[in-house]
Amino acid sequence: MRRLTPRLYNALHSGLWPWLCAACVALSLLMLTALLTLLITRGLGHFWPATLEEVTLVSGDVVIGQPVREAPLPNADSLERLYFTGNRDITGANWRWVAIEDIRHQTVPNDLIRLERSPWGDFLGRLTAVESEGQRLTGQEAWAFVNNTLAKPASQRPAGQLLLTTADGQTLYQSLDSVTHFQTPNAMSWGQKVVTWGQRIWQFLSEGPRAANTGGGVWPAIFGTVLMVILMSVIVTPFGVLAAIYLNEIAHQNRLTHLVRIGVRNLAGVPSIVYGVFGLGVFVYGIGGSIDSWFFSDELPSPTFGTGGLLWASLTLALLTLPVVIVATEEGLARIPDTQREGAVALGATRLETLTRVVLPMATPAILTGMILAVARAAGEVAPLMLVGVAKLAPQMPVDGEFPYLHLERKFMHLGYHLFDTAFHGEDVQAAIPLVFAIALLLVLIVLALNLTAIFLRHYLRRQRGNEC
Amino acid sequence: MTPPRLPLSRQPLRQLQDRIATGLITAGGIGVLLAILAIGVFLIWETLPLLSFGDALTLSTLSPLAWGTLKAALAAMLFATPIALGAAMYSALFMSSRLRSRIKPTLELMEAIPGVVIGFIAGLLLAPWVERNLTSTLLLIMWLPLSAALAGGLWHLAVARLRKRLPLSLAGIWLIPWLACMAALALWLAPLIEQHWLGGDLRRLLDQRYGLDYATRNALIVGIAMGFAIIPSIYSLAEDALADVPHSLMEGAQALGASRWQALWKVALPTAGPGVFSAVMIGAGRAVGETMIVLMASGNTALFSASPFEGLRSFSASIAIELPEATPGGLTYHLLILAALALFIFTFVVNTLAEVVRQRLRRRYQRLGGAL
Amino acid sequence: MLASFSSANAASAPVMRFSAEQCCLSIAQFHLAYAGKAALRDLTLDIPRHRVTAFIGPSGCGKSTLLRAINRLHDLNESVTHSGHIQLEGQDIHDATMNVTELRQRVGMVFQTPNPFPMSIYENVAFGLRLQQRLPKRKRDDIIEWALTSAALWDEVKDRLHRSAWQLSGGQQQRLVIARTLAIQPDVLLLDEPASALDPISTLKIEELIRNLKSQLTLVLVTHNMQQAARVSDYTAFLQHGELVEYGPTDQVFTNPRLQRTENYITGRTT
Repeated sequence: MRRLTPRLYNALHSGLWPWLCAACVALSLLMLTALLTLLITRGLGHFWPATLEEVTLVSGDVVIGQPVREAPLPNADSLERLYFTGNRDITGANWRWVAIEDIRHQTVPNDLIRLERSPWGDFLGRLTAVESEGQRLTGQEAWAFVNNTLAKPASQRPAGQLLLTTADGQTLYQSLDSVTHFQTPNAMSWGQKVVTWGQRIWQFLSEGPRAANTGGGVWPAIFGTVLMVILMSVIVTPFGVLAAIYLNEIAHQNRLTHLVRIGVRNLAGVPSIVYGVFGLGVFVYGIGGSIDSWFFSDELPSPTFGTGGLLWASLTLALLTLPVVIVATEEGLARIPDTQREGAVALGATRLETLTRVVLPMATPAILTGMILAVARAAGEVAPLMLVGVAKLAPQMPVDGEFPYLHLERKFMHLGYHLFDTAFHGEDVQAAIPLVFAIALLLVLIVLALNLTAIFLRHYLRRQRGNEC
Repeated sequence: MTPPRLPLSRQPLRQLQDRIATGLITAGGIGVLLAILAIGVFLIWETLPLLSFGDALTLSTLSPLAWGTLKAALAAMLFATPIALGAAMYSALFMSSRLRSRIKPTLELMEAIPGVVIGFIAGLLLAPWVERNLTSTLLLIMWLPLSAALAGGLWHLAVARLRKRLPLSLAGIWLIPWLACMAALALWLAPLIEQHWLGGDLRRLLDQRYGLDYATRNALIVGIAMGFAIIPSIYSLAEDALADVPHSLMEGAQALGASRWQALWKVALPTAGPGVFSAVMIGAGRAVGETMIVLMASGNTALFSASPFEGLRSFSASIAIELPEATPGGLTYHLLILAALALFIFTFVVNTLAEVVRQRLRRRYQRLGGAL
Repeated sequence: MLASFSSANAASAPVMRFSAEQCCLSIAQFHLAYAGKAALRDLTLDIPRHRVTAFIGPSGCGKSTLLRAINRLHDLNESVTHSGHIQLEGQDIHDATMNVTELRQRVGMVFQTPNPFPMSIYENVAFGLRLQQRLPKRKRDDIIEWALTSAALWDEVKDRLHRSAWQLSGGQQQRLVIARTLAIQPDVLLLDEPASALDPISTLKIEELIRNLKSQLTLVLVTHNMQQAARVSDYTAFLQHGELVEYGPTDQVFTNPRLQRTENYITGRTT
């Protein structure tokens, strides 16, 4: 026994701990996979034309809806099912819980339609007839007419209205120009569903938001994000590269440079919200306020530059990502062997010529890597933007046909903030969640794609360097 | 075959260009560095007016927020540190190098997932789910480590052929389905356990017996979500420190008869200790300053409560919510800037400490690598 | 051993003088220190024009430092201090009127490891030319061909002038670096252990090149390899601890050194 105990202890010690550590890796990967799977399935599933069910209840009620999920009934063994029923203008709610026990029978009729309307959100029900220019069309003619008409933009459609019937037999008149999309999901074949799915993804990417951000697309947010990020890179890259060149090639390598380098590195760890505070205090209130009092005093007290806007947001994020660019560029510069610089100098090149002809071309991939990492960070960053200029819903795009075409003072929409706003400040958060998943997926894809590009660039750079030695 | 001499025609111009460029770069570089420095100066400058408002008010307004910040960071660290360090130890010393070259970038990519996405999932999906399935959650947290140990035990009992096909060096991968199955098992068992031992409803039990309130968005959720967000940064730095321990040291220990784990525990960990420490510090810095996750998953209630099931409100979230509405120059404005200054100083100190420790470690490795 | 050491110190520093028209580089009482630590002490020697002069000596004796000082490469390093004179064709290289880029154009330098730039072979040779002035393409092409021919590389690369220089072998890279330096037509070529990173055949090619080049310019060669110094150089200087120990015609230094220290080093005995 005495001999066994230390062996057992050793076996436990050396045998079990590694497994716990391995499990940590497995768990992290599991969580990551779960998160990505969740985002992909829910995000892409949002666009799939879901089957609509018509359910007759024991009480005689008829419900038309899209089944969402099931949950156990409190204090009972059976389940209840949540249906998305739409028709908020008629029933006052988009959702209905139905106990499974109460269902007498359920069918999937082919003539059920789903309309997306600009006020009131979705309509689920049936199409009875179409009235347009004095004519009343029913049956096949009505379908043909609707398919033709709704393919055109709202402004080119003939005046007219759809006669719709809800599940419980109420009739609703819906004018043609208020309808944005029209689907008969149950009648669609697989191929048609895939086509519709693709169309809806395209609409999501290319259209503006509707119904207080709970529906529609995210085009202005994509545009705002991209514009802000471009402006930011235009600001941050030259300054970051300049600072890195100064630190690495020009400054005396002494204690002070060392301290500055540590300081710059640490700024990468300073919370982004602190940069937001700085941006608000210095750029918006300080510089923006001064610009207003000098150039736009006739418009005061309503601020022009003295409030958050595109320029201030780009500047703030440029400051935030400056350490990223500096650190990446410095790494690239440090990796260039001194023999290259000496070679150029020995040929009679001045410092500037050595820099521009030998050092910078060799450091370009590193600079690009830094820039991409900065862009990736800026694209996912939301907190500082909340202070310096992001908007829930920007009435005007920051770029338009009006002089000077690029309006740096305007507020803009941002994907990350759009996500936050839709998820937390919408009227019907439940209804918005599928959309939020789609936005989250888009954001994650953009950021991951940027990061992967940076990784591959860095990898390529290292391999190239490896060949040289 | 000697070509004619080259005239030196552009000398003065080139010298001038060089001087100007050097001057510009120096000015630009120093300017950028000063701009960075300006952040600290601005924050201190803007908090100075607070001195005239009297300090009692400041303390009573900010202390629940400070508590909330620390509580959120602590919860996240409790969740993230063991996982991140365990993963770092495994991937630095046990994992096959081919797998490691794939897994490490993957885990580091986790860091890139925007906080707003994690916050949304935590606040709108995880929080209601945990509220409905509190027992399952707590059971999972206890059961998963046990199931990993169980996997290790079963592996030692398994026949040699199976062991060869499922080596420890690949365990990071093949444990994934095992853990998923074990998690499913725990989820299936949880309601039964709740029925039999916890009186049917754990939340009611907590409330009645211990007087613990349960808020949907609470410190537990924040801990899990923010822990998930800071795992990669701790992991990445700790892994670097452990993987850079000179091989000769580990081999020396193993040559003396130590098992791989003992060599890790007695040699690698003490040698890489400072690096691991600095990784944890940097993780803490991130946890303290993270905004969106706390904002979306914490409920934002300024409470003085140690309960993991109650909400909290942190500095960063308060700044994000209140600062856009605060009038510049007002008390709230200055208070929030003081909060930002606190965050700035905390993270700056923590990161500097971590960086200094890390550089010292690097020098130590160079010495060791040179001596051995 | 102690006795031989002190006897060497007792001997007066051997000064070999050349007449003004023979002398290309003249170094006088040159001191150099890194951060206060002396690396070169009181060096005085003349380097003759159109000859190969070799610097030999143990590692850290200061021979590379001296070479770099002639090219003023220490300008890049702030911790370096120096005194004394180095004259190139009678003009002090540290003189205020001496332009450092002009000096480096007149004094080419080739380093231990080949350091071609990450550009095409053609662009590598054209690099120095482009810095000086804009030349018509025809003329530039001529100079490049001449430089590559002088460096005995033209036949090997004439079909792939626009390929990356990094694809060349080590020996070819080193000859490319020499060609790059020749293209700006320096008066002096400093070679800092140019063959130490190369295989024996490449080394032989470089040595042959060095012998051929002395008709065009003055060469100064730092080498660790005694046989190499004996094979290619006309004059040899032996340095130790930053001081010049012995300087004379190569034959004399190798067959009949004046000092015991030199003989010990050359024959491989420890001092």
